[in-house]
Amino acid sequence: MAVDQESFLHLSRPLAPVANLQSNIAPLSVNIQPTAILSILDHAVRRDAPATPTTSSRVIGALIGSRSEDGSELSVSSAFAIPHTENEDQVEVDVEYQKNMLTLHLKASPRETLLGWYTTSHELNSFSALIQNFFASPETGTFPHPAVHLTVSTDPGADVQLKAYISAPVAVNAERAAESCMFIQVPHRVSYNDAERSALELISSAKDTESRTAPIPSDVEGLARSIESSIDLLERVSAWIGEILDEEREPNNAIGQYLMSALSLAPKVDAASIEHDFNNHIQDVLMVSYLANSIRTQIDLSQRLATAVLSDEKADKDDTKGGERGERGDRRGGRGGRGGRGGGRGGREQREPKEPREPAE
Amino acid sequence: MADAPKETPISSVLVESLVIMKIIRHGASTFPTPATGAIVGMDQNGVLEITNTFAFPTGDVANTDGAHQNDASALAAAAPRAKANMVYQNDMIRHLKEVNVDANGVGWYTTAAMGNFINLNFIENQYHYQKDNDQTVALVNDVSRSSQGALNLRAFRLSPAFMTMFKEGKFTTESLQKSKLTFKDILVELPVTVHNSHLLTSYIHQFPGFPTKAEVDMPASVSDILKADVKLPLYPSVDTLDLSIDPFLEKSCDLLLDSIESHYTELNNHQYYQRQMAREQTKITAWQTKRKAENAARAAAKQEPLPEDEWQRLFKIPQEPSRLEALLNAKQVEQYSKQIDGFTANVSAKMFAVRGNLMPE
Repeated sequence: MAVDQESFLHLSRPLAPVANLQSNIAPLSVNIQPTAILSILDHAVRRDAPATPTTSSRVIGALIGSRSEDGSELSVSSAFAIPHTENEDQVEVDVEYQKNMLTLHLKASPRETLLGWYTTSHELNSFSALIQNFFASPETGTFPHPAVHLTVSTDPGADVQLKAYISAPVAVNAERAAESCMFIQVPHRVSYNDAERSALELISSAKDTESRTAPIPSDVEGLARSIESSIDLLERVSAWIGEILDEEREPNNAIGQYLMSALSLAPKVDAASIEHDFNNHIQDVLMVSYLANSIRTQIDLSQRLATAVLSDEKADKDDTKGGERGERGDRRGGRGGRGGRGGGRGGREQREPKEPREPAE
Repeated sequence: MADAPKETPISSVLVESLVIMKIIRHGASTFPTPATGAIVGMDQNGVLEITNTFAFPTGDVANTDGAHQNDASALAAAAPRAKANMVYQNDMIRHLKEVNVDANGVGWYTTAAMGNFINLNFIENQYHYQKDNDQTVALVNDVSRSSQGALNLRAFRLSPAFMTMFKEGKFTTESLQKSKLTFKDILVELPVTVHNSHLLTSYIHQFPGFPTKAEVDMPASVSDILKADVKLPLYPSVDTLDLSIDPFLEKSCDLLLDSIESHYTELNNHQYYQRQMAREQTKITAWQTKRKAENAARAAAKQEPLPEDEWQRLFKIPQEPSRLEALLNAKQVEQYSKQIDGFTANVSAKMFAVRGNLMPE
């Protein structure tokens, strides 16, 4: 599922002079997971100083993720920040930090590799080229694969926009090669899976609140909200149709057709079989719920009896008596457990009891 | 934290959305093996703010931590208190500090499937954190339920009463009677809320939502609609309306049966102990009566009486097995049955909705 995707024209880029890999000119696409973006945004919020005329306020960091076998698809799964300082005439990147952090990261997730770097402004300058060449170099970077440069705009009051680039070396002479390169934009998309979707849903639920917080809803609350929104959508559609029938609005054949085919998806089943299926399932559900609760009660009871101090024996702290007391509690608990198991078998489970049951007491 | 004059106990947990995304991603990538990691943040007037997180490596723990070739899940479960990971955690926190991330370890997270997280490992990990710093929590993310729709993230701490008990390491019938500790008092659950930064809020507003324009262009044909690629809004999601019953019930029954099984094992252990105890007691009483008779005979013969407390040396009273496992098991069953209750409430609502939809009026 993608939330951010655009159509794109691939241009082949000039090859690095030493590269001899065929895959290097193949189109490349970057797949960004929301976690990485959240990391980058978090880093942007935690930057040291606001922008001044002489220093830029952008922050940089490394992108971690995996690469498809032919190297044409990159999946950025996480990112970490790298401290750096930048002013008018020089840039300093904490290389040591980057190296250590990368090692630490790869230790926890050994299947991932360094993919490139990000920064929090769309500006591409000669410092960008310098850093890009560092990340693309054979010793410290992603060579022979191209390093990806992701720019995320974090200007207040504007949309957060992402752009992904790869680079090609370009220079008039060898001395200038280190600080210049050509950035070529490549397509990117933001995609998420089912589990991440549920998290994004929760995060999105906080988007319209003043405090930017949201409690984690219980299952039933979530269900209620989903049903409400579905009902709302259905009502809007039927109101629209009603307006057309009343000739207040122009009919639209395409939407009509679409709705017809959607409605025809509703299965036609006879009432008896629905009733039958419904009853079967609801009985299963209620049965399991009932059993689970009775098992809980039995185990609770067993726990209580095992440690209960019976009133008439309170004064008597003899070891033997204490032992017997515990045993009595256990016996009852044991019966409870067996009762639950028997019920479970009757209800849904085919499992055979492993030990022969002794008659109770 | 340590230098605060008076610590207010944590009453709720505020989780940054970045943390949720990271935990979900980690959990989903290792599923069904549990994933563990550390969380960092800060506590403020009883609200614990969790602002960042990182995963624990599980790969090299086996090499450094002894010769045991455990399976992956045992390894991951033990990761938070492994020695190598303590070093890793400190290293990571030091690095994070450099990029302005809160440099306080405030606990750890784990992922679970179907709520089966209450076990000795969980308790030991949390004890390990909480004994050094009282303001720590364990975040539990239920992956199997998160992928079904609603996100499930909970925060737990050990209760102070349980902490003292666990410190002594004694879970006998007698000590439980004295402290009146039941399985319900082991864990304290804290309410969790999710929090977004301003920048993130602005980013979320770019995600697909309901159309804001009052008038939309009418499609000319059905294929226009199919091509339009309308994106579903993230919130509220329709995933929760999914109607799958049997897999959940089956898994729940399996887990409950496992719990009963272990309950039964615990009972057997105790009964064995009781029998052993009774046997020893009879032997001791027999010895005591014999010694008494002997002493009476010696007194009659005007000889020195033999000491009567020698039995303590001669007989060994068996150790009472710990009741901790049983306690945890009871807690686990409670957790299962609550989970099933929640599911039942949800599913019966959906079932009735389906019936109401399909049945002729």
